[in-house]
Amino acid sequence: MSYNTGRTYFWKVHGQKVHLLKLRKNSLLSPDANGRIDAEDTQLVYPDEAIPNGARVEYNTFVKPFVSTDPNTLATDTNETTWTNPSLTEVTSPEETSHINLNRMLSLACVCYVQAQNAVKEGNLQMKEYYMREFYKKLADNESNKRRISIAFASPVSSVR
Amino acid sequence: MTVLEVMERAGIRDTNLAIAWIKDAIHFIESTQTENLKTRKFSIVEGQRDYDLPSDLISINSISVLDTEDDNKYKQIRRLVGPHVITEDTNP
Repeated sequence: MSYNTGRTYFWKVHGQKVHLLKLRKNSLLSPDANGRIDAEDTQLVYPDEAIPNGARVEYNTFVKPFVSTDPNTLATDTNETTWTNPSLTEVTSPEETSHINLNRMLSLACVCYVQAQNAVKEGNLQMKEYYMREFYKKLADNESNKRRISIAFASPVSSVR
Repeated sequence: MTVLEVMERAGIRDTNLAIAWIKDAIHFIESTQTENLKTRKFSIVEGQRDYDLPSDLISINSISVLDTEDDNKYKQIRRLVGPHVITEDTNP
C-alpha cells in the first residue's frame, strides 16, 4: 500500500533509464530489534514495494507529425456552438502535399528552421544565425500567445484624451 | 501548412531534405515546448531501481507514482538533483 507518494518518491534519468528511489524516514528514538538506533533519520532506498502500474511518465513526443488534412481549419463550423475539429490521419510517408501537424506560428517557425539549415548548406553562417534567431522568436511568440495578459491602467484626470 | 508551402517559402527543391529538416524542427519544438503529450505507465517492482523510458520520448514533462491509499491517485514526484547517497543498494 503506497501512501504519500508525492513526497516519498524521487526520480532521476540516466540515459534511456529512469531511476526511481524512495525516501524512507527512520525514527531516531525507537531502537531496532538489536537495540540499535539509526543515526540517519532519512534514507534513500530502492522502491520497497511492488505497485502494479505504479509509475506514470508524461512526456513530449512526435504525435502525428504529418497529417493528410489541414489541422488549422475546422471540419464543421455552423455557428458558435456547433463546430468540430478535423479528424487527423497520420501520413507515415510524408509527401509534398502532406500537412505539418502544427499551428500556423509553429509552421512558420519550421520555415525559418529550414531556411537556416539551407543557409548552412550554402555555407552562409551569418544567415543561418539570422534564421535561427527568427525560429526561436516564433517559438517564443507561440508560447506568449497562450499566456496573453491584459493590464488596464486608470488614466489620470488631467491626461489628454 | 503543407510541405510544399514550406519548400516554396524557404526556396528548397529537394523534398526529402525538406522533410528531414521539418522533422528536425518539430523535434526542436517538442524539446522546448509542450505541444504533444503522451502518457505511459509501468509497474514498480520491489527492490528495482531502473526502469525503461519509452523510446519515442523527446523530453519528460512529469513522472508520477500511484498513491493507493489516497483513492488511487497519481501524484507527481520530484526529480533528484546532484549526487545523492543511496543507503540501500540491492541490484544493480
